[in-house]
Amino acid sequence: MTEALRVSGLSKVYGEGALAVHALADVDLSVAAGELVALLGPSGSGKSTLLFCISLILEPTAGKIAMFGEPIHGGGRTVVDVRRFRRENIGFVFQHQNLIPFLSARDNVAIVLELAGGRARAARHRALDLLEELGVGHRAHDLPANLSGGEQQRVAIARALANSPRLVLADEPTAALDTERGQVAMEMLRRISRERGAAVVTVTHDERMISGFDSVYRLHDGRLRSGA
Amino acid sequence: MDLAFKDFQRHPGKFAATTVGVGLLIAIVLTMNGIYRGNIHDGVWLIDHTDCDLWVVERGRGGPFNEPSRIPQETWKRIAAVPGVLRASPYIVYTVQRELGGRSQQFTVVGYDLFGGLGGPGQLEAGRALESPRFEMVADRKLGLAVGDLVRLAVHDFTVVGVTRGAVDSGGNPLVYLSLPDAQEVLYQEDNRALELKRSASLRALEAASLPSTDTERLLPLLDSGAVTVSAVLARVEPGADLAEVQRHVTRWLYLDSYTTEQERDLMLRGRLLRMSAILGLFRALLLVVSIVVISLLVYILTMEKIRSIATLKLIGAPNRIIVRLILEQSLFLTVASFVAGYALISVTQERFPRTLVLLSSDTGTTFLVLLAGGIVASLAGIVHSLRTPPSVALGG
Ligand SMILES: Nc1ncnc2c1ncn2[C@@H]1O[C@H](COP(=O)(O)OP(=O)(O)OP(=O)(O)O)[C@@H](O)[C@H]1O
Ligand SMILES: [Mg+2]
Repeated sequence: MTEALRVSGLSKVYGEGALAVHALADVDLSVAAGELVALLGPSGSGKSTLLFCISLILEPTAGKIAMFGEPIHGGGRTVVDVRRFRRENIGFVFQHQNLIPFLSARDNVAIVLELAGGRARAARHRALDLLEELGVGHRAHDLPANLSGGEQQRVAIARALANSPRLVLADEPTAALDTERGQVAMEMLRRISRERGAAVVTVTHDERMISGFDSVYRLHDGRLRSGA
Repeated sequence: MDLAFKDFQRHPGKFAATTVGVGLLIAIVLTMNGIYRGNIHDGVWLIDHTDCDLWVVERGRGGPFNEPSRIPQETWKRIAAVPGVLRASPYIVYTVQRELGGRSQQFTVVGYDLFGGLGGPGQLEAGRALESPRFEMVADRKLGLAVGDLVRLAVHDFTVVGVTRGAVDSGGNPLVYLSLPDAQEVLYQEDNRALELKRSASLRALEAASLPSTDTERLLPLLDSGAVTVSAVLARVEPGADLAEVQRHVTRWLYLDSYTTEQERDLMLRGRLLRMSAILGLFRALLLVVSIVVISLLVYILTMEKIRSIATLKLIGAPNRIIVRLILEQSLFLTVASFVAGYALISVTQERFPRTLVLLSSDTGTTFLVLLAGGIVASLAGIVHSLRTPPSVALGG
């Protein structure tokens, strides 16, 4: 199986000197294409930090990241056009939904497709389909502020999946959803890994959600351990 | 997807209010431009619209507009006799505050020689020029008079035979054209009580000189009659005549001063209009600066308001081009829409403005460009800030 993601010796230190927080310490991780990975860990253990580093939002303090065989970050240097790479390869569902407040639910999804070079009409159609699939099609024309937390989360998932990314990173995507909807969302992620061969890394608190995952990792004080 | 437009669409009220607010400010800037130009326009209107080559005034006086000038009426005959002069005629101009058309108004009376004289009204909006030497009047429409109106001025009734449009003195006061004798009478008219006072003053002066009472009786009427004066003599020179030569002659032999139209204009611009122009110009510049600052701040605030959205755009991989476009478009739209609103407002209200507004398209264009440049510079600040913002700004809960 081809390797989608390889993280080696990754460390992240926030701040300096006495205030320094070692959020990640020497993390190694390898995810294959089509693999469904769960990341568990107590609050403050560095789960979000790890996802941010992988998605190139945060610069790691040390370590290497490679994706799809391409070195992304090494020797303290990012070697790709970060935004372009992210746009073309990574879908991210944030822990706190980051929808653009002046765009409707549909436009929040469609913009990702347009940024990837899609035509406006086609983008809108595809966005509607995705929202429909996640059960928020009826709120497509509402602003994020008028949606419930769960609805916003589903729009955010639709946005992350819109341009068929090869790597999906989801930071507690089910936190704002009831169990049933949470299962639906997880099912979406499962499908995207099975059907499209995307690597999916999901952070979750909820142990019940991890059934059917290919691998489970636990983070503790910035250190990664394998196993359920 | 046009992000700037989507944002406007979501907050139409906010953007309408901003546009109207900035539009009002821009309307004030444009009004100030208009007042500035109008002040100069009014200032030289009468000079520009008096059909003569030379203004002959009392020796040593910057008259007849910047200071009073008095010369004997008969002087015009001596000017007419100067070599090179084609025609000369007496002219009187003075400003009064009188009851006219039922209310107290300030206006300037121009008295000229009807018969072949210079200095009469130019183009009329209605009616005809003065034809009878007595009791006719041409008035500017600003005075609220119409052709055929009968108005009382001093001790006589005058018939309004013509109406001008935009005929003003250097202070913007409307003009009233009268025949020379009428104008002199309105200016020098005294009631009986005033005459009595003057007479007794003269009598005392004669008695103080210890003249015999038989002589005082004889001298008194002579003292009171007083020479009839005018403000200036207007002259037209023969085609090809040397104006400077004529002026030298007037100065040397007639002991009077003279100004060409150009010199008279200059006198006005450097004299009466100078301070006002400076003040208006200062206000004009200040207002422009204030508008630029306001627009800049608004554009900057507009950007800062969206900084999280901009960070999110970066997170989902939007290139800088998209972000720059969002900010620039909003800034340009705000500036252009406000300018249009301001311009529309001033176009509608221009006619009702109490002073002459002269809106030059060059002024309006320059103002627009300056505001636009200000808006763009402000957006640059917003753009720099946005591009420097790390995408992680969007991550805070
Ligand atoms: N910007 C920051 N500056 C300084 N410290 C930070 C910053 N972000 C996170 N940290 C710290 O780094 C550690 C890891 O944080 P992180 O957000 O990755 O935890 P998490 O596992 O996602 O927690 P949660 O389950 O609550 O979301 C925490 O101790 C946190 O306080
Ligand atoms: Mg977290």
